[in-house]
Amino acid sequence: MKNRLRVLRAEREWSQADLAGRLEVSRQSVNAIETGKYDPSLPLAFKLARVFETTIEAIFSDEK
Amino acid sequence: MGCITNNPAARRYYRRLIVTLLLYAASLVVSIGVFIHFRPTGPLAYALAILPAIPVIGILAVFGLYLAEEKDEFQRFIGVQAMLWGIGGTLAVTTVWGFLENFVHVPHLQLILVFPIFWFFFGVSLPVLLARYK
Repeated sequence: MKNRLRVLRAEREWSQADLAGRLEVSRQSVNAIETGKYDPSLPLAFKLARVFETTIEAIFSDEK
Repeated sequence: MGCITNNPAARRYYRRLIVTLLLYAASLVVSIGVFIHFRPTGPLAYALAILPAIPVIGILAVFGLYLAEEKDEFQRFIGVQAMLWGIGGTLAVTTVWGFLENFVHVPHLQLILVFPIFWFFFGVSLPVLLARYK
């Protein structure tokens, strides 16, 4: 699944570790999601949306 | 999982694992000592023979607790994947070895080795999984 995590992080000048801290997950988890290698569960996707104050659809896209 | 991250669930996992391994060592010493010095028979012999297996089974429970307590779903995913590799590798090796034992002369594989074989594949798969999701 494609996502805009890198862009959203860059806009806020957050490192992967910063985002991981806000999500209460490991930096490896953020990296795996950001690189599209791991699709988060719905609860984690909602948490991401809350952290970035946006919607899940604004972060993730099911385009190949 | 524990060796990937350093969070409260992983720390509890390591603490429990160390305690379980110490219990395993202690139960092994007790069982071997009693068998050598007292040569027990009957139900006591069965109980003493099974005694070291209890903490070994406990290691699985300790890992199960880790999976239940780990809040990071990606780390849980890695742990479960490593377990699947461990189960798959163990089934593959023991099946191949079983056929070898049936058809050609190879040494008999002691069942007690199945558990270490599982953890061998579990341990080997972890860095591979980590590299895949790097």
